[in-house]
Amino acid sequence: MKTREDLKSFFDVVLSPGLKELEKKRLKVLNSVILVEAGVLAVTLLVAGLVYNSGGGEPLLSVLFIGVLVMAGLFAVLTHSFRSPFKETVIRPLVRFFDESLSYTPDGCISCDLYTCSKLFLHHVDEYRGDDLVEGMIGKTRVKFSELHTQYKVETRDSKGRRQTQWHTIFKGLFFIADFNKNFSGRTVVLPDQAERCLGGFGKFLQSKNVSRDPLVSMDDPGFEKEFVVYGTDQIEARYILTSSLMSRVMNFRRKTGRNLYLSFIDSAIFIAIPYAKNLFEPNIFRTLLDFKPVEEYFNDLNTALSIVEELNLNTRIWSKV
Amino acid sequence: MWIVLGIAAIIFISAVSMYNSLIGKRNQVQNIFAGIDAVLKKRYDLVPNLVAAVKNYMQHEAGVLTGITGLRAKAVSGGLSDNEKVELDNKLTKAIGGIMVAVENYPDLKASENFLQLQRSLNEIEEQLSAARRAYNAAVTDYNNAVEMFPTNIFASGMNFKLKQVFEIAEQERQNVDVAGLFKS
Repeated sequence: MKTREDLKSFFDVVLSPGLKELEKKRLKVLNSVILVEAGVLAVTLLVAGLVYNSGGGEPLLSVLFIGVLVMAGLFAVLTHSFRSPFKETVIRPLVRFFDESLSYTPDGCISCDLYTCSKLFLHHVDEYRGDDLVEGMIGKTRVKFSELHTQYKVETRDSKGRRQTQWHTIFKGLFFIADFNKNFSGRTVVLPDQAERCLGGFGKFLQSKNVSRDPLVSMDDPGFEKEFVVYGTDQIEARYILTSSLMSRVMNFRRKTGRNLYLSFIDSAIFIAIPYAKNLFEPNIFRTLLDFKPVEEYFNDLNTALSIVEELNLNTRIWSKV
Repeated sequence: MWIVLGIAAIIFISAVSMYNSLIGKRNQVQNIFAGIDAVLKKRYDLVPNLVAAVKNYMQHEAGVLTGITGLRAKAVSGGLSDNEKVELDNKLTKAIGGIMVAVENYPDLKASENFLQLQRSLNEIEEQLSAARRAYNAAVTDYNNAVEMFPTNIFASGMNFKLKQVFEIAEQERQNVDVAGLFKS
């Protein structure tokens, strides 16, 4: 496992020369963003002022709304040119720093089929997006992960009959898949236990009546049972996968990351979804690249996914699966 | 009139659901016991392979190997009660454990691909067995709770449902490992 010191020397020796070049590009992009956005803001305010003088009301709101929309659009277009060199200069070397054999595809992502097959999120998806796909072997374990953002839309009509579309996030964060070290044929899904945490025994009763999920599996580790709810097609298989040791490893991993974890075990593979509020592995145009801190943050996010193999002991092959 | 009918309907529906849940829990226990049986059978099937793999090396432990073959023959002959099955299973666990310790004295055997594959299969079966026992204990606890708790206990006593025993870890497995003892010849 790479340490902070390893990363620091990697940052100084390997990343720094490329970052200096990239920093020049960032400042150039930042200047054009400031210039263009200021221009659009000035025009918007001018038009808004004229509209305000001629009565205001709804047209004024429309002008401001269009202004904000144009600013956001231009911001996305202007910063887009910076995204690709950033990924090549920062994220790709960081991935290789973890392991030379890992491949990185900035615009690739876990396929929608695999996402659906994981059974972690059952809501139908209207918008499926993702990037930063990392694939390869860690020891004996094949892994694959990317950032994903899935949404569904709700269409409503207001009092005037106008159609409004609202987008709701189903999942946003890291989606990780690895080969599991045991063979199994059923399906076991482990989700954060919100119902039991809020409602206690009644929450558990409700979970046992959840028709959208497989039958409830009560685990014999009270700590794990408090934090997670387990559904599975086979009571014995669920416990064959979730041994006491794996349960405590999952709890440790959850404590270390401080995030909710969604896990499922299907077709001899393990699927893990870790929600994040921020966009992962994306450049921040307003922050200098010459500091170690932002690079360390990207490293930590990558490490969260890549440490799963070690944290959950997936390289142990003492069973018939080799 | 309607109120009485309503109350009668509620009582009837609750009674049916309690009765069904008791039956469901009893069947769950039986199902999982059948699961344990299936894993045990897998282990019995592995015994001839294990004996064949080690017998050329383990001349001194011939008695243990004969014993283990005898245990298997008894198990597959059928007609055993649940308690006898559990007892036989405990004996076999102990015997296989003994062989695995003895293997340490035969480095060639330990390194052979055939034995390694067997060891992996045995590890897998041991873990499946432990999972099946945990599942059985969870199902029995669930069933026992229903048999003892109000109001399902009224039905349980009427249906002559008895408390069931959970699997207990054998006394020797529960004791701390005596590391010093392991290295005494």
